[in-house]
Amino acid sequence: MYAIRTENLEKHFGATAALRGVSLDFSAGLIHGLIGSDGAGKTTALRLLAGLLRPSAGSLTYIKDGRPSSFAEFRPGLAYMPQQASLYPDLSIAEHLEFFRDLYRLDAATFKQRSSELLEITRLGKFSARRAGQLSGGMYKKLGLMCALLQSPSALLLDEPTNGVDPISRREFWELLYAQSASGMLIIVSTAYMDEAERCARVHLLDAGRLLASGEPRAVLKAAGAASFEEIFIRGGAK
Amino acid sequence: MTGFDLHRAAAVARKEVMHIMRDPFTLALVLGLPVVLVVFFGFAIDFDVKNLALGVYDRDNTRHSRQLVSVFESSGYFLPGAVDSPAAAARGLDSGRYSAALLVEPGFGRELGGGGGPRVQFIVDGTDNSKAQAVLGYLPGLTGAALRKFGAAVPADPVPLKTRFMYNPELNSRWFVIPGLAVIIIGLLSILMTALTVAREWENGSMELLLSTPLRPAEIIAGKIAPYVGLILAGVFFVNLVARFGFGVPFRGSHLLFLSGTVLFALASLSQGIVISVVTRQQQLAMQLSMISGLLPSLLLSGFIFPVESMPAFFRYFTMVLSPRWFMEVARGVTIRGAGAADLALPLAALAGLCALLLAAAFKKFKTDLEP
Repeated sequence: MYAIRTENLEKHFGATAALRGVSLDFSAGLIHGLIGSDGAGKTTALRLLAGLLRPSAGSLTYIKDGRPSSFAEFRPGLAYMPQQASLYPDLSIAEHLEFFRDLYRLDAATFKQRSSELLEITRLGKFSARRAGQLSGGMYKKLGLMCALLQSPSALLLDEPTNGVDPISRREFWELLYAQSASGMLIIVSTAYMDEAERCARVHLLDAGRLLASGEPRAVLKAAGAASFEEIFIRGGAK
Repeated sequence: MTGFDLHRAAAVARKEVMHIMRDPFTLALVLGLPVVLVVFFGFAIDFDVKNLALGVYDRDNTRHSRQLVSVFESSGYFLPGAVDSPAAAARGLDSGRYSAALLVEPGFGRELGGGGGPRVQFIVDGTDNSKAQAVLGYLPGLTGAALRKFGAAVPADPVPLKTRFMYNPELNSRWFVIPGLAVIIIGLLSILMTALTVAREWENGSMELLLSTPLRPAEIIAGKIAPYVGLILAGVFFVNLVARFGFGVPFRGSHLLFLSGTVLFALASLSQGIVISVVTRQQQLAMQLSMISGLLPSLLLSGFIFPVESMPAFFRYFTMVLSPRWFMEVARGVTIRGAGAADLALPLAALAGLCALLLAAAFKKFKTDLEP
């Protein structure tokens, strides 16, 4: 079981503070939502967790099987799906899976089983020869998720995976995440859609690099005395 | 996680091959463009000075003076045209209509057999010094031919030097230009290819994804470079075919030696492209920097046009850090002179050194994170 904790995490890009003293507890086996509007610091937070950025201050603790571990030990079990369209438009679904099979050094039997499983649950099997550049928005995101899930990670970081995706594909995408989470995977999803906050087991509300609230969605709403997450953001912004 | 995994590097290389095979522009650029440019420049760039407009003012107008003019005409170097006064010849030189003027004074034919020297003046436009030097180089041969035509004795040289041009007896400038041109085109394309392919990964966000996988920079660099080395070698093969069978440029040396030099040069240039792309992370900027750093020094400072030995000391030393300068020596040495490994030990060692240096720079500069 994988978990991550941050303590007073800060990230500055020159004079701009992207994250200001954020302490978060991403406990194992749950779907965590990093909720916030554009520029809240969600992508920076995920990149820090994925080891793609270095903290300006504060600390990051990676926990593997209940014990703190180094990032190098944690990394093989970590998968990350960036927000930007990062797949290759001229490669097909099958070619993407084969490429990631080789990067993760999966043996033939594991790959066969895992890829069939993923193609089935994403319902992309019949499109496996289609190039990524010719996929719809929802299918493209599912392919990104498949590439991340191929190695059966223990921790999955997803940066706005449903951004720009139609409502039906979004629902399908979340169902896929629930299925993965049931196996004990730590999933951290960033999103600007407030309705998606309620789909998470834990939410962490970020606003202009600051943590507004953190916890179980209903508990967060109750503690804030707010009817919706939007209200918390509006009040947070007013402060 | 640590160290170099050949399997992962091969995966990157396979992916790169798919990109190349599906991008006709890249294929045409690397395989077709060098051949097209070599054909184009092979015909256009000719350092042999021919068909120069020559203004002729023949005041003698005798059999001998006409024979003199015909010697100039039949040489193929000059296209004589009559003028009616020395002033007209001078105006022709001023306007650039003529590159040289031949003024034959009255009594030229009569004085040929007599004791006094025949009166004839040859004026050359010195604006283009290399052209003027070439024209002056033709004169001894032309005067010798004219004297033989007149039936006069050709004066013996005070020091009888016999000149022989080795390796390129006809001084065919294409033999000199085409191997050099291939060096410049291949060098520029190599830098451009990797600069663009890595910058593209940064620009479209796929580098962020790659860096989050177990891939190490060395594996990405090796996987990116390997297919292009193959592609560049294919380009070099076609260029050599055109040079050999299209322009009759000989290949006198060892193919293996040439291949070794080419691989070292391609690796050095491809690594330079990686360094550019890692620093810029943008395709447009990478392309501009590749053009500047790939084309200008290699065109001007590699010895392609201007001999390195004739450059001021600063530039002479500066050329030592330019891989095209060394590969130029290898390419011309192997193809034209048939030079062996021992003859080319210095340029080959310099190429290997620069290649190691640029590869090391590419590894060092390649970032494993997204920090600006």
